[in-house]
Amino acid sequence: MRIRPRPADVNPKLLSPAYTSTVKRAPARPPLVLPQGASEISGPRFDNSVLYPSHDDLTRQCEGEPLGERIIVTGRVLDENGDALPSTLVELWQCNAAGRYHHDKDNHEAPLDPNFKGGGRVITDAQGRYRFTSIKPGAYPWRNHPNAWRPPHIHFSVFGKSVLQRLVTQMYFPGDPLLAYDPIFNSVPEKARERLVSRFDLEVTKPDFALGYRFDIVLRGPGATPAN
Amino acid sequence: MPGRLTPSQTIGPFFHAGLQWQGGATLFAAATPGRAIRISGVVTDGDGQPVPDALLEFWQADPSGNFGAPTEGSCAGFGRVMTDDSGRYEIQTRYPGAVPGADLKKQAPHILVVVLARGLLHHLLTRVYFEGEETNAGDAVLASCGARGETLLAKRSPGTDDAYAWNISLQGPKETVFFEC
Repeated sequence: MRIRPRPADVNPKLLSPAYTSTVKRAPARPPLVLPQGASEISGPRFDNSVLYPSHDDLTRQCEGEPLGERIIVTGRVLDENGDALPSTLVELWQCNAAGRYHHDKDNHEAPLDPNFKGGGRVITDAQGRYRFTSIKPGAYPWRNHPNAWRPPHIHFSVFGKSVLQRLVTQMYFPGDPLLAYDPIFNSVPEKARERLVSRFDLEVTKPDFALGYRFDIVLRGPGATPAN
Repeated sequence: MPGRLTPSQTIGPFFHAGLQWQGGATLFAAATPGRAIRISGVVTDGDGQPVPDALLEFWQADPSGNFGAPTEGSCAGFGRVMTDDSGRYEIQTRYPGAVPGADLKKQAPHILVVVLARGLLHHLLTRVYFEGEETNAGDAVLASCGARGETLLAKRSPGTDDAYAWNISLQGPKETVFFEC
Protein backbone atom coordinates (compact mmCIF):
# COMPACT_ATOMS: atom_id res chain seq x y z
CA MET A 1 0.00 0.00 0.00
CA ARG A 2 1.78 3.13 -1.19
CA ILE A 3 0.65 6.29 0.53
CA ARG A 4 0.04 9.52 -1.38
CA PRO A 5 2.61 12.28 -0.85
CA ARG A 6 1.86 14.73 1.91
CA PRO A 7 0.43 18.00 0.56
CA ALA A 8 2.39 21.07 1.67
CA ASP A 9 -0.57 23.18 2.78
CA VAL A 10 -2.14 21.10 5.55
CA ASN A 11 0.39 20.76 8.33
CA PRO A 12 2.09 23.46 10.40
CA LYS A 13 5.61 24.49 9.47
CA LEU A 14 7.99 22.84 11.94
CA LEU A 15 9.59 26.22 12.57
CA SER A 16 6.65 28.36 13.70
CA PRO A 17 8.38 31.00 15.87
CA ALA A 18 5.15 32.26 17.46
CA TYR A 19 5.21 28.89 19.24
CA THR A 20 8.56 29.47 20.90
CA SER A 21 9.41 25.82 21.65
CA THR A 22 9.78 25.23 17.91
CA VAL A 23 12.78 27.58 17.65
CA LYS A 24 15.35 25.20 19.17
CA ARG A 25 13.58 21.95 18.33
CA ALA A 26 12.52 22.20 14.70
CA PRO A 27 15.16 20.65 12.42
CA ALA A 28 16.86 23.38 10.40
CA ARG A 29 17.53 21.20 7.35
CA PRO A 30 14.82 20.10 4.95
CA PRO A 31 13.84 16.43 5.23
CA LEU A 32 15.39 14.01 2.74
CA VAL A 33 13.09 12.01 0.51
CA LEU A 34 12.61 8.42 1.65
CA PRO A 35 11.06 6.15 -0.98
CA GLN A 36 8.37 3.98 0.64
CA GLY A 37 9.80 0.56 1.44
CA ALA A 38 8.59 -2.39 3.51
CA SER A 39 9.24 -0.67 6.85
CA GLU A 40 7.25 2.42 5.91
CA ILE A 41 4.22 0.79 4.31
CA SER A 42 3.71 -1.54 7.26
CA GLY A 43 2.86 -0.57 10.81
CA PRO A 44 1.99 -1.95 14.23
CA ARG A 45 -1.45 -3.44 14.79
CA PHE A 46 -3.09 -3.77 18.17
CA ASP A 47 -5.96 -5.85 19.50
CA ASN A 48 -8.31 -5.35 22.46
CA SER A 49 -5.61 -6.44 24.90
CA VAL A 50 -4.25 -2.87 24.86
CA LEU A 51 -7.51 -1.63 26.40
CA TYR A 52 -8.01 -1.27 30.16
CA PRO A 53 -11.07 -0.87 32.41
CA SER A 54 -13.04 2.30 31.56
CA HIS A 55 -10.65 2.96 28.68
CA ASP A 56 -13.41 4.85 26.84
CA ASP A 57 -14.96 6.61 29.83
CA LEU A 58 -12.63 9.07 31.55
CA THR A 59 -15.34 9.83 34.13
CA ARG A 60 -15.23 6.26 35.51
CA GLN A 61 -11.55 5.63 36.08
CA CYS A 62 -11.43 6.66 39.76
CA GLU A 63 -13.45 6.20 42.96
CA GLY A 64 -15.77 9.13 42.32
CA GLU A 65 -16.84 11.25 39.41
CA PRO A 66 -14.72 14.13 38.17
CA LEU A 67 -16.03 17.69 38.34
CA GLY A 68 -16.88 19.42 35.09
CA GLU A 69 -19.23 19.39 32.17
CA ARG A 70 -19.73 15.82 30.91
CA ILE A 71 -19.09 15.35 27.18
CA ILE A 72 -19.32 12.58 24.61
CA VAL A 73 -16.90 12.81 21.71
CA THR A 74 -17.41 10.62 18.68
CA GLY A 75 -16.38 10.51 15.06
CA ARG A 76 -14.79 8.41 12.35
CA VAL A 77 -11.22 7.72 11.40
CA LEU A 78 -10.97 7.79 7.60
CA ASP A 79 -8.23 8.05 5.05
CA GLU A 80 -8.07 10.83 2.50
CA ASN A 81 -9.91 8.65 -0.03
CA GLY A 82 -12.87 8.54 2.33
CA ASP A 83 -12.31 4.91 3.32
CA ALA A 84 -12.93 3.97 6.95
CA LEU A 85 -10.03 2.76 9.08
CA PRO A 86 -11.42 -0.05 11.24
CA SER A 87 -9.60 -1.60 14.23
CA THR A 88 -7.19 1.26 14.61
CA LEU A 89 -5.96 2.46 17.97
CA VAL A 90 -6.91 5.98 19.06
CA GLU A 91 -5.31 7.36 22.23
CA LEU A 92 -6.37 10.57 23.89
CA TRP A 93 -5.40 12.75 26.81
CA GLN A 94 -6.49 16.04 28.31
CA CYS A 95 -6.37 18.29 31.38
CA ASN A 96 -9.17 18.43 33.94
CA ALA A 97 -12.06 20.90 34.02
CA ALA A 98 -9.91 23.41 35.91
CA GLY A 99 -7.16 23.34 33.29
CA ARG A 100 -4.63 21.12 35.04
CA TYR A 101 -3.04 17.88 33.81
CA HIS A 102 -2.60 14.90 36.07
CA HIS A 103 1.16 15.18 35.58
CA ASP A 104 4.06 15.78 38.02
CA LYS A 105 5.43 18.68 36.03
CA ASP A 106 2.21 20.61 35.50
CA ASN A 107 2.48 23.31 38.18
CA HIS A 108 -0.41 25.49 37.05
CA GLU A 109 -2.11 26.75 40.20
CA ALA A 110 -5.44 25.16 39.51
CA PRO A 111 -6.85 22.27 41.53
CA LEU A 112 -6.06 18.68 40.66
CA ASP A 113 -9.16 16.53 40.50
CA PRO A 114 -8.61 13.30 42.45
CA ASN A 115 -11.22 11.68 40.23
CA PHE A 116 -9.69 12.53 36.88
CA LYS A 117 -6.57 11.06 35.30
CA GLY A 118 -7.27 12.30 31.79
CA GLY A 119 -6.19 9.41 29.56
CA GLY A 120 -8.18 7.04 27.34
CA ARG A 121 -7.86 4.53 24.52
CA VAL A 122 -10.36 3.32 21.96
CA ILE A 123 -10.21 1.01 18.97
CA THR A 124 -12.33 1.98 15.97
CA ASP A 125 -15.18 -0.32 14.92
CA ALA A 126 -15.77 -1.80 11.45
CA GLN A 127 -16.97 1.60 10.16
CA GLY A 128 -13.98 3.42 11.61
CA ARG A 129 -16.06 4.92 14.42
CA TYR A 130 -14.78 5.79 17.88
CA ARG A 131 -16.60 7.20 20.90
CA PHE A 132 -15.66 8.16 24.42
CA THR A 133 -17.06 9.97 27.45
CA SER A 134 -15.12 12.58 29.37
CA ILE A 135 -15.46 16.06 30.87
CA LYS A 136 -14.80 19.27 28.99
CA PRO A 137 -11.16 20.28 29.55
CA GLY A 138 -10.46 23.76 30.90
CA ALA A 139 -8.29 26.50 29.42
CA TYR A 140 -4.89 27.00 31.03
CA PRO A 141 -2.11 29.58 31.00
CA TRP A 142 1.31 28.75 29.59
CA ARG A 143 4.59 30.60 29.35
CA ASN A 144 4.84 31.00 25.58
CA HIS A 145 4.21 34.78 25.69
CA PRO A 146 2.64 37.25 28.14
CA ASN A 147 -0.92 36.28 29.10
CA ALA A 148 -0.84 33.18 26.89
CA TRP A 149 -3.74 30.73 27.33
CA ARG A 150 -4.29 27.41 25.61
CA PRO A 151 -7.85 26.97 24.39
CA PRO A 152 -9.57 23.86 25.78
CA HIS A 153 -8.42 20.89 23.72
CA ILE A 154 -8.17 17.11 23.70
CA HIS A 155 -5.01 15.45 22.38
CA PHE A 156 -5.45 12.57 19.91
CA SER A 157 -2.94 9.96 18.74
CA VAL A 158 -3.96 7.70 15.83
CA PHE A 159 -2.03 4.86 14.18
CA GLY A 160 -3.74 3.80 10.93
CA LYS A 161 -2.44 0.79 9.00
CA SER A 162 0.93 2.16 8.02
CA VAL A 163 3.54 4.15 9.91
CA LEU A 164 3.01 6.84 7.27
CA GLN A 165 -0.57 7.32 8.46
CA ARG A 166 0.54 8.08 12.01
CA LEU A 167 -1.06 11.27 13.31
CA VAL A 168 -0.93 13.13 16.59
CA THR A 169 -3.18 16.15 16.82
CA GLN A 170 -5.45 18.22 19.04
CA MET A 171 -9.22 18.68 18.92
CA TYR A 172 -10.70 22.05 19.86
CA PHE A 173 -14.22 23.22 20.73
CA PRO A 174 -16.48 25.36 18.52
CA GLY A 175 -16.90 29.06 19.15
CA ASP A 176 -13.88 29.39 21.42
CA PRO A 177 -12.55 32.97 21.57
CA LEU A 178 -9.10 31.71 22.66
CA LEU A 179 -8.51 30.02 19.29
CA ALA A 180 -7.70 33.36 17.67
CA TYR A 181 -4.79 33.88 20.07
CA ASP A 182 -3.31 30.38 20.19
CA PRO A 183 -0.02 29.98 18.27
CA ILE A 184 -0.30 26.18 18.22
CA PHE A 185 -3.75 26.21 16.59
CA ASN A 186 -2.71 29.06 14.30
CA SER A 187 0.44 27.24 13.18
CA VAL A 188 -1.89 25.27 10.87
CA PRO A 189 -2.42 26.87 7.42
CA GLU A 190 -5.60 28.92 7.63
CA LYS A 191 -7.74 26.83 5.27
CA ALA A 192 -7.13 23.66 7.30
CA ARG A 193 -7.58 25.09 10.82
CA GLU A 194 -11.31 24.47 11.12
CA ARG A 195 -10.63 20.73 10.60
CA LEU A 196 -9.33 20.71 14.18
CA VAL A 197 -12.52 22.19 15.61
CA SER A 198 -15.14 19.69 16.71
CA ARG A 199 -18.82 20.22 15.96
CA PHE A 200 -21.49 20.38 18.65
CA ASP A 201 -24.14 17.77 17.80
CA LEU A 202 -27.51 17.57 19.50
CA GLU A 203 -27.93 14.01 18.21
CA VAL A 204 -24.80 12.89 20.00
CA THR A 205 -25.88 14.84 23.08
CA LYS A 206 -27.44 12.50 25.65
CA PRO A 207 -30.51 14.00 27.33
CA ASP A 208 -30.00 14.84 31.01
CA PHE A 209 -26.42 13.51 30.83
CA ALA A 210 -23.76 14.90 28.49
CA LEU A 211 -23.10 17.29 25.60
CA GLY A 212 -22.11 15.65 22.32
CA TYR A 213 -19.31 16.64 19.94
CA ARG A 214 -18.28 15.20 16.59
CA PHE A 215 -14.70 15.07 15.39
CA ASP A 216 -13.67 13.10 12.30
CA ILE A 217 -9.99 12.35 11.75
CA VAL A 218 -8.64 12.03 8.21
CA LEU A 219 -5.30 10.29 7.69
CA ARG A 220 -3.13 10.00 4.60
CA GLY A 221 -4.31 7.26 2.27
CA PRO A 222 -3.14 5.00 -0.54
CA GLY A 223 -2.74 6.38 -4.02
CA ALA A 224 -1.98 4.81 -7.37
CA THR A 225 1.15 2.66 -7.36
CA PRO A 226 3.79 4.58 -9.27
CA ALA A 227 5.15 2.85 -12.39
CA ASN A 228 8.59 1.39 -11.83
CA MET B 1 -14.55 14.73 3.40
CA PRO B 2 -12.12 13.06 0.94
CA GLY B 3 -8.87 14.95 0.74
CA ARG B 4 -9.48 16.90 3.92
CA LEU B 5 -6.47 15.65 5.82
CA THR B 6 -6.45 16.41 9.52
CA PRO B 7 -3.47 18.63 10.38
CA SER B 8 -0.89 17.59 12.95
CA GLN B 9 -0.32 19.28 16.32
CA THR B 10 2.36 18.88 18.99
CA ILE B 11 2.03 16.22 21.69
CA GLY B 12 2.86 18.95 24.23
CA PRO B 13 4.71 18.27 27.48
CA PHE B 14 2.02 16.39 29.41
CA PHE B 15 1.24 13.32 27.31
CA HIS B 16 1.87 10.60 29.90
CA ALA B 17 -1.80 9.97 30.74
CA GLY B 18 -2.53 9.16 27.13
CA LEU B 19 0.67 7.68 25.76
CA GLN B 20 2.34 5.71 28.54
CA TRP B 21 3.01 2.25 27.09
CA GLN B 22 3.46 -0.69 29.43
CA GLY B 23 6.58 -2.61 28.43
CA GLY B 24 7.21 -0.16 25.59
CA ALA B 25 11.01 -0.43 25.86
CA THR B 26 10.91 -4.12 24.92
CA LEU B 27 10.07 -4.72 21.26
CA PHE B 28 9.94 -8.52 21.26
CA ALA B 29 8.92 -11.26 23.69
CA ALA B 30 11.80 -12.85 25.61
CA ALA B 31 11.50 -16.13 23.68
CA THR B 32 12.00 -14.46 20.28
CA PRO B 33 15.02 -15.98 18.55
CA GLY B 34 17.78 -13.81 17.15
CA ARG B 35 20.48 -11.54 18.47
CA ALA B 36 19.31 -9.52 21.50
CA ILE B 37 20.52 -5.92 21.41
CA ARG B 38 20.07 -2.74 23.40
CA ILE B 39 20.02 0.73 21.90
CA SER B 40 20.29 3.83 24.07
CA GLY B 41 21.04 7.49 23.63
CA VAL B 42 20.08 11.09 24.24
CA VAL B 43 17.74 13.43 22.39
CA THR B 44 19.09 17.00 22.20
CA ASP B 45 17.86 20.36 20.87
CA GLY B 46 19.59 23.08 18.85
CA ASP B 47 21.57 24.23 21.89
CA GLY B 48 22.73 20.69 22.60
CA GLN B 49 20.44 20.62 25.63
CA PRO B 50 18.67 17.36 26.48
CA VAL B 51 15.02 17.06 25.51
CA PRO B 52 13.34 15.55 28.59
CA ASP B 53 9.86 15.44 27.10
CA ALA B 54 10.27 13.51 23.86
CA LEU B 55 8.41 10.35 22.93
CA LEU B 56 10.11 7.89 20.57
CA GLU B 57 8.36 5.13 18.67
CA PHE B 58 10.20 2.27 16.98
CA TRP B 59 9.00 -0.09 14.27
CA GLN B 60 11.09 -2.92 12.85
CA ALA B 61 11.07 -6.35 11.30
CA ASP B 62 11.96 -9.41 13.36
CA PRO B 63 15.30 -11.20 12.79
CA SER B 64 13.75 -13.13 9.87
CA GLY B 65 12.63 -9.93 8.16
CA ASN B 66 8.93 -10.28 9.01
CA PHE B 67 6.74 -7.55 10.47
CA GLY B 68 4.87 -8.51 13.61
CA ALA B 69 1.31 -9.07 14.71
CA PRO B 70 -0.55 -8.01 17.86
CA THR B 71 0.75 -9.44 21.13
CA GLU B 72 -0.76 -9.18 24.62
CA GLY B 73 -0.84 -5.42 25.21
CA SER B 74 1.34 -4.43 22.24
CA CYS B 75 2.61 -5.53 18.83
CA ALA B 76 5.81 -7.45 18.06
CA GLY B 77 8.42 -5.07 16.68
CA PHE B 78 6.77 -1.95 18.09
CA GLY B 79 8.34 0.08 20.87
CA ARG B 80 7.55 3.35 22.58
CA VAL B 81 9.62 5.13 25.21
CA MET B 82 9.67 8.55 26.81
CA THR B 83 12.97 10.33 27.40
CA ASP B 84 13.92 10.87 31.03
CA ASP B 85 14.98 14.13 32.72
CA SER B 86 18.38 13.93 31.05
CA GLY B 87 16.88 13.28 27.62
CA ARG B 88 17.88 9.59 27.65
CA TYR B 89 16.04 6.59 26.30
CA GLU B 90 16.82 2.89 26.02
CA ILE B 91 15.18 -0.01 24.20
CA GLN B 92 15.75 -3.76 24.18
CA THR B 93 15.14 -5.47 20.88
CA ARG B 94 16.45 -7.98 18.32
CA TYR B 95 18.86 -7.21 15.53
CA PRO B 96 16.41 -6.64 12.66
CA GLY B 97 16.31 -8.80 9.56
CA ALA B 98 16.70 -7.22 6.13
CA VAL B 99 13.55 -6.03 4.35
CA PRO B 100 13.04 -4.68 0.82
CA GLY B 101 13.06 -1.01 -0.04
CA ALA B 102 10.92 0.83 -2.59
CA ASP B 103 13.00 -0.72 -5.40
CA LEU B 104 12.26 -4.20 -3.93
CA LYS B 105 15.98 -4.73 -3.26
CA LYS B 106 16.96 -5.83 0.24
CA GLN B 107 18.10 -2.96 2.41
CA ALA B 108 20.52 -2.98 5.31
CA PRO B 109 18.92 -3.83 8.67
CA HIS B 110 17.32 -0.74 10.17
CA ILE B 111 14.61 0.42 12.55
CA LEU B 112 12.11 3.11 11.68
CA VAL B 113 11.86 5.81 14.36
CA VAL B 114 9.12 8.39 14.94
CA VAL B 115 10.12 11.35 17.12
CA LEU B 116 7.50 13.41 18.94
CA ALA B 117 8.02 16.20 21.47
CA ARG B 118 6.78 19.49 22.79
CA GLY B 119 7.85 22.01 20.16
CA LEU B 120 7.46 19.55 17.28
CA LEU B 121 4.27 20.51 15.46
CA HIS B 122 4.61 17.40 13.33
CA HIS B 123 6.36 14.17 14.26
CA LEU B 124 9.74 13.45 12.65
CA LEU B 125 10.58 10.25 10.80
CA THR B 126 14.04 8.74 10.75
CA ARG B 127 15.87 5.40 10.62
CA VAL B 128 18.58 3.87 12.75
CA TYR B 129 21.20 1.59 11.12
CA PHE B 130 23.99 -0.39 12.76
CA GLU B 131 27.72 0.26 12.76
CA GLY B 132 29.68 -2.71 11.50
CA GLU B 133 26.86 -4.06 9.32
CA GLU B 134 28.40 -5.17 6.02
CA THR B 135 25.31 -4.47 3.93
CA ASN B 136 25.23 -0.77 4.93
CA ALA B 137 27.52 -0.05 1.98
CA GLY B 138 24.84 -1.14 -0.52
CA ASP B 139 21.88 0.56 1.15
CA ALA B 140 20.29 3.11 -1.19
CA VAL B 141 18.65 5.17 1.56
CA LEU B 142 21.84 5.44 3.58
CA ALA B 143 23.73 6.36 0.42
CA SER B 144 21.19 9.09 -0.34
CA CYS B 145 22.14 10.79 2.94
CA GLY B 146 25.78 11.30 1.92
CA ALA B 147 28.06 12.27 4.80
CA ARG B 148 25.02 12.94 7.00
CA GLY B 149 24.24 9.22 6.88
CA GLU B 150 26.64 9.01 9.83
CA THR B 151 23.85 10.47 12.03
CA LEU B 152 21.77 7.35 11.41
CA LEU B 153 24.43 4.88 12.54
CA ALA B 154 24.08 3.35 16.00
CA LYS B 155 27.63 2.91 17.33
CA ARG B 156 28.68 -0.28 19.02
CA SER B 157 29.44 0.49 22.67
CA PRO B 158 33.07 -0.42 23.40
CA GLY B 159 33.60 -3.77 25.07
CA THR B 160 30.12 -5.12 24.40
CA ASP B 161 28.49 -7.16 21.70
CA ASP B 162 24.92 -6.24 22.30
CA ALA B 163 24.84 -2.53 23.19
CA TYR B 164 24.56 0.30 20.69
CA ALA B 165 24.52 4.05 21.24
CA TRP B 166 22.42 6.29 19.03
CA ASN B 167 21.67 9.95 19.74
CA ILE B 168 19.05 12.11 18.09
CA SER B 169 19.95 15.74 17.44
CA LEU B 170 16.86 17.74 16.49
CA GLN B 171 18.85 20.72 15.23
CA GLY B 172 22.43 21.94 14.88
CA PRO B 173 25.71 20.81 13.35
CA LYS B 174 25.08 17.11 14.01
CA GLU B 175 21.40 17.32 13.11
CA THR B 176 19.99 13.84 12.54
CA VAL B 177 18.71 13.10 9.05
CA PHE B 178 14.91 13.20 9.03
CA PHE B 179 12.83 11.96 6.14
CA GLU B 180 9.78 12.96 4.16
CA CYS B 181 8.05 9.84 2.94
